[in-house]
Amino acid sequence: MKKKIFPYLLLTPMILIMGVLVFYPIVATFSYSLKKWKLTAPGDIRFIGLKNYLQILGSDDFWYSMQNTLFILVFVVACTTLLGFFIGTFLNIRVRFSGILLALAVLPWALPPFVNGILWRFVFYSGYGFLNKLLTGIGLTEEPVEFLASRWSLLLVVSIVVVWRSVPFMALVCMAGRQSIPTGFYEAARIDGGSRWQIFRRITLPLMLPFLGVGVTSTSVTAINVFDEIVALSGYSDLAKNILMDSYLTTFTFLNFGEGAAMTYIVLFFALILGIFYLRSLAKEVSYE
Amino acid sequence: MKKRLLSSLLVSALSISLLAGCGSAGSDDAAEGGESTEESGNKITFMAPDWAIPTEEQLAAFTEETGIEVECSEVGWDDIREKIATAAAANQCAADVVEVDWSWVGEFYAADWLEPLEVSDEDKADMPTIETFTVDDKVLAMPYANDYRLSYYNTEQFAAAGITEEPQTWDDVLEACRALKESGTVEHPFAIALNAEEKTSTCLMWLAYTMNGVVWNEDGTFNEESVMEALQYMETLINEELVAPEDKTSSGMDAYMRICGGTASFLTGPTSFVSRIQDEELCSVVGQITPILTPGKDGKAQQTMPLPEAIGVSSMSENKEAAKQFVEWYTSADMQKQLNDTNSAIPTRNSVLEELINEGTIKNSGAMLEEAKLVASPFPNGIPSYYAEMSSAMYNAINKMALGELNAQEAYAEMSGALEELISEE
Amino acid sequence: MRYAKKTGYVLALILFLIFTAGPFVWTFILSVTPEHAMFTGDGGLLPETVIWDNYTELFSGGQRGSRFFVSLGNSLKAAGLTLCIGIPVALVSAYVLGRMRFRGRELIRSLLLITMVIPVMATIIPLYRMFAEGELLDSLFWLTLVYISSYLPMAVWLISNYFSTIPGELEEAALIDGCGRVQSFLRLILPLSRPIILSVALIMFLNTWSQFQIPLILASSMETKPMAIVVSEFVTKDSIQYGLVAAAGMLALIPPAVAALVFRRYLVAGMTSGSVKG
Repeated sequence: MKKKIFPYLLLTPMILIMGVLVFYPIVATFSYSLKKWKLTAPGDIRFIGLKNYLQILGSDDFWYSMQNTLFILVFVVACTTLLGFFIGTFLNIRVRFSGILLALAVLPWALPPFVNGILWRFVFYSGYGFLNKLLTGIGLTEEPVEFLASRWSLLLVVSIVVVWRSVPFMALVCMAGRQSIPTGFYEAARIDGGSRWQIFRRITLPLMLPFLGVGVTSTSVTAINVFDEIVALSGYSDLAKNILMDSYLTTFTFLNFGEGAAMTYIVLFFALILGIFYLRSLAKEVSYE
Repeated sequence: MKKRLLSSLLVSALSISLLAGCGSAGSDDAAEGGESTEESGNKITFMAPDWAIPTEEQLAAFTEETGIEVECSEVGWDDIREKIATAAAANQCAADVVEVDWSWVGEFYAADWLEPLEVSDEDKADMPTIETFTVDDKVLAMPYANDYRLSYYNTEQFAAAGITEEPQTWDDVLEACRALKESGTVEHPFAIALNAEEKTSTCLMWLAYTMNGVVWNEDGTFNEESVMEALQYMETLINEELVAPEDKTSSGMDAYMRICGGTASFLTGPTSFVSRIQDEELCSVVGQITPILTPGKDGKAQQTMPLPEAIGVSSMSENKEAAKQFVEWYTSADMQKQLNDTNSAIPTRNSVLEELINEGTIKNSGAMLEEAKLVASPFPNGIPSYYAEMSSAMYNAINKMALGELNAQEAYAEMSGALEELISEE
Repeated sequence: MRYAKKTGYVLALILFLIFTAGPFVWTFILSVTPEHAMFTGDGGLLPETVIWDNYTELFSGGQRGSRFFVSLGNSLKAAGLTLCIGIPVALVSAYVLGRMRFRGRELIRSLLLITMVIPVMATIIPLYRMFAEGELLDSLFWLTLVYISSYLPMAVWLISNYFSTIPGELEEAALIDGCGRVQSFLRLILPLSRPIILSVALIMFLNTWSQFQIPLILASSMETKPMAIVVSEFVTKDSIQYGLVAAAGMLALIPPAVAALVFRRYLVAGMTSGSVKG
């Protein structure tokens, strides 16, 4: 009998933390999203069912933000995964200054969001930005390029910055993944005469897949929840706003907590679909037999 | 048996460590809580941005005088509203005394977050900006940091382009900017905020206000004639490239700062530039810039827009009397003088401002004092509760116009459509 | 062949350096540029005059500087606390979910993993409410618990993936030898899992280091405020002190850089001391 309880006992701290700090709040937020709740109208808070959701889904604004969100998501996940994988591999090569390289590699992640925003502003701004100074300096352009003045180039710039910030995590996860592969596997493959490519496809990739799964899921969540970069590069402009920004503006700027909660839930739902997809395809427990 | 013992030990160790953590944190807080209820008569919290926090000596003097202890919590200006809102949503009081920006008054009043204050008629007459914080005849917050739109121009650059007269009207400014550009003195002489942020909305507001003395009609809708004229003026500046291309995407303050970098010759902006243009660290053209009265349509404008900051007492405060005492002390004439010295706050009392200028404490003030007397609120019925939404519609429309997606007419249609919708939802 | 390999490595190295270190060089330049020179378009890449005022302001012991260092300490404390609680909880949970068989295991595992997709925005307002009612606001301990709740799914997933690479026979052998589950966990699994524990620790450390949104709402006094928030307060009335922020950002990078160096050293040490697995 006691043996049966044992695993649950061990899980208690985790279940407590997650239950109280994640599951309870998420249910509470859902209940907010079913209410008309605007702080500037304190006398008029009432249950309105799914009205907030219907209103959001029916507005053109929402679909515009959704397109932006998708753009950033696809670009960021693709680039981060590729770059993270290569940098992870690169960092695994042992040289005398490996430590320093690793320290450098993780720094983009450790930069406070506020500093990050300012840094990129000074890179991409059209008059005095670093990139424009560089481009005019080497004579590539006469007039400064306005990177931030149109929707798609702005989104591209935002995505590049997010990639820069999220590659370190991916690289670390890939490093961990590589170290999880028993060295014996490689030796066996080499004795069997497998080519480098074959070893990569048959051993490295499948065994790293569960780790890539963590990386990709987490990067997707980051990409859906981009906020600081957009604000730093374009202010509160409609141009490059994503759903999270809509939800932030609705909640904290327009003080509409009900509708804001509904928007957050839409973000969450969107992430959930992706999450389940990744879990099913990538998080399978690999057998090492 | 042994293994079971060990395992249960491990589990209990973990849960104990967790519980102990919770427990100790809990008891700490309980202790603090106990303390504050015990002395509830004489302890208040004050939440404000960096520049509004009094020095320790000033606070100590206040405590000595009144027996009220003040705990300051310094919060980034942008984040204060977020904290107040989150706290209010949980029926909590973020702090007894809080920062109130002029643009927040409408919504704070609608949300019932501020306790009305009693202010003498004398004080009201001395502080013209108090009007901004008055809704339905109730004073909701006391302004402590003055800011109103004042104009600045670079006399040397103007002279280099052959203009020796100070610009009187907006047409003068336009002509001067054209001359500056044509003569090659300054490529983009006009500094104005055009990106998607609050400052861009206020730029349109003060432009329309200084031109025609009106921005909104009594019913809250835009005064089409006045706002259109201001929008068209902005459009001209954009089309003739008198504003810098980077102003369309960089922050409003960065655009204003161009006058300090010498890449712009004319600015209508914050009062704080009176000291900025004399600071060697911030300004590369010290001595060339003069603060002047803001231009109007035919001659100088008869009124200018105030953008002051204030502090108010939270309606959920459990210690309102002490909080009110603090507000009174903080905005008193003597404190305003001290705060100008320690925090470079520009006094909201015209009497203090006058004194500081006459004493020479505020130097090279130009038309600063004269302009302060022209301060009047452009909002006919106080700041509306939908201000944030309206401002967002305004700056997005202007930004689109700056980026060439809309013309002035379309930008007007977009923002006035949004405003009418907001009014109908009221 | 060897030559080609070496050139390839050097090329990759150069690209890597431009990609990661380039922006930091630029941040450094900003931190020593006088403010008015930042906004001139015609100047070269390097400022004409270099000023160290921003660094001296931080080190001079003035109000800004001392706040910055206090907050740096808070961030370190938070990171330490996160690791002390987060790593053991993650390890035990990963072990139980990965290696034990019991009812509801799949359900618990899926529920845990799926919380990875929950953004802070979706929980922060109820969390504030809960904390305010329980008088838990502005406490470093509870703040770190919130951080941990957002790292646990990722950490458990990574660690349990790693555990599953340790052959089951090894543990069975240990169990037969009379080791209890706990002993086999402590003596066998833990030492073998050193690389992943280190990686997860580094990930948790770095994630905690740049936390902004959670402490913004849940922390308010100088006893708890992390560095990222204090840096964001380096603003004057209506502008940002870009140089000072850049300087603070540069200094704030030192602890994570040190953490990464330490991590790498122990990781390599662990690998050369010969592992049993494979």
